[in-house]
Amino acid sequence: MAVMRINVGPIHPSTHGVLRLVVDVDGDTIKNVEPHIGFLHRGVEKLCETRMYMQNPSYFEKLDYISPMSWDEIYVAAVEAAMGIEVKEAAQYARVILLEFQRIANHLLWIGTLCNDIGQLFTMFMWCFRERAQVLKLLEDVSGGRMFYVNMRLGGLNRPLPQDFADRAYALTDYIKEKITQYEEVLDSNEIFLERLRGVGRLSAADAVDFGVSGPVLRASGIEEDVRKSFPYYVYDKINFSIPTKADGDSYARYRVRYEEITESIRIIRQALENMPNTDVVGMPIKLIGPNAKPEPVVVRRELPKGEGLIYMVPDKQRPYRVSIRSPAFINLSVLPKLLEGAKFADIFAVFGSLDIIFGETDR
Amino acid sequence: MDEETVEGAAYTKEQFMNAEQKMSALVEQSLGEYKKDKSVNAMFARLSDFSKMMSKDLINWGRSNSLWPLQFGLACCAIELMDFGAARIDAERKGYLLFRGTPRQCDVMIVAGWVTKSVVPRIKRLYEQMASPRYVIAFGECATCGGPWWESYNIVKGIDQVLPVDIYVAGCPPRPENLFSALMKLQDKVGGKIAGDTERNLSETTRRAEGEGL
Repeated sequence: MAVMRINVGPIHPSTHGVLRLVVDVDGDTIKNVEPHIGFLHRGVEKLCETRMYMQNPSYFEKLDYISPMSWDEIYVAAVEAAMGIEVKEAAQYARVILLEFQRIANHLLWIGTLCNDIGQLFTMFMWCFRERAQVLKLLEDVSGGRMFYVNMRLGGLNRPLPQDFADRAYALTDYIKEKITQYEEVLDSNEIFLERLRGVGRLSAADAVDFGVSGPVLRASGIEEDVRKSFPYYVYDKINFSIPTKADGDSYARYRVRYEEITESIRIIRQALENMPNTDVVGMPIKLIGPNAKPEPVVVRRELPKGEGLIYMVPDKQRPYRVSIRSPAFINLSVLPKLLEGAKFADIFAVFGSLDIIFGETDR
Repeated sequence: MDEETVEGAAYTKEQFMNAEQKMSALVEQSLGEYKKDKSVNAMFARLSDFSKMMSKDLINWGRSNSLWPLQFGLACCAIELMDFGAARIDAERKGYLLFRGTPRQCDVMIVAGWVTKSVVPRIKRLYEQMASPRYVIAFGECATCGGPWWESYNIVKGIDQVLPVDIYVAGCPPRPENLFSALMKLQDKVGGKIAGDTERNLSETTRRAEGEGL
């Protein structure tokens, strides 16, 4: 049969943003997929060079608008490394707790939208957003912002934690733990869900390493790699947690890895809450920051919800001279044509949705 | 002021009263004809007269209570748009929210996110595919004025340079509640409760933007 070229996007309900896919199909079988990105490009790295150090976090938060705090933290950590500033011990625990809550919120939204993409319309979406709203409420009360927090300051946070923070965080972890068991009951016994995801978009471990994918996509291919374990930061080395991995490498494995990461995050949060000292967490005020930067470039690696994020920053006196970003979503997207070789047309969004791509980050 | 005439008015009060009497007589007469002729065709004729009289208000009432937004998100604000339709706010309980994937079935375009130069032709195309009357909500700072990306080289400083915008929503991102109030305001505007022309074509700014080849 003749090969037909079909254009998907750039504005499409299931592309989670603005992605254009040019798909060559033979009948219903995909021959080739070519992603076109760049529809959200606005030059973040260049804009960062024109701003003072602590004006930049709000740019970084808009890279990944599903888990903004993790990019906020990685940038502030880079500035801390450039200035040689130590983070207060209580603030280290507080950051770990907040980042893990942010990871939970990210994975909840991901499960909801994945179910929408594969045709399980709105039930899971409503459930996941119900739980995510509770997480966002806690983060809002901690930081002051509902979606964009900008609550990291050099050496700590922007304000003291609320009085009842620990109680509320415990209650919230209990709540989420109870609710996600319901997800498991609904999804893992759902024939349609399993049929749509099992054996679709298989990524072998060797390919995963070759493409340089990271995060849950890598771990679903059977490679146990996590920056929180291999290059521990903050108090992750004092916390007992495991890295969920799956050997299959298909879309269902990626779902299971993310699902189990939610329970691991709950474990981390509870241990951090137990060990957190009851001391000050507030960091430096913004106006004191600036002229002490060392001239050496710094590199900071973090395990973001979507994969391994990295910032390379060359500091200058008042503002960064150069900031370069390694976006996990961009590199995970590069594997899409490989995953879709020989798949059916309807699998595009079952595979694409399982990669957890965000276009603020890929296009920057 | 004279008792009989209103200053500056085109008709005297007497003329106005006479006209009103004539009108009511005509209505009486037509109703009488309807009472005599009870065929179905006549009934439809009456109905069409009635709908002609009521059409503007009736259609606006219908339009304002069935605003279907386009399922279309660009960036961060689209996440709040999802939250808007999700469990906490649950916008569908107000009856005017059914996010559709195709522009041909939609009345409202909610531009949620920053608008880059490369995405402008796509947005314009979607807007042109929507059936008239169509309404645009600029949701968030970026769609309103460019927001934090004002100095960027690839950003259109507000969707109102390209499309005629009906409602602006401030915030970065606005809370879902803000979108709720914006849609209620749009309902008022469409239903004629607040000032605003409902039949709109491409504005002057759009034509200018087209001239510049945006």
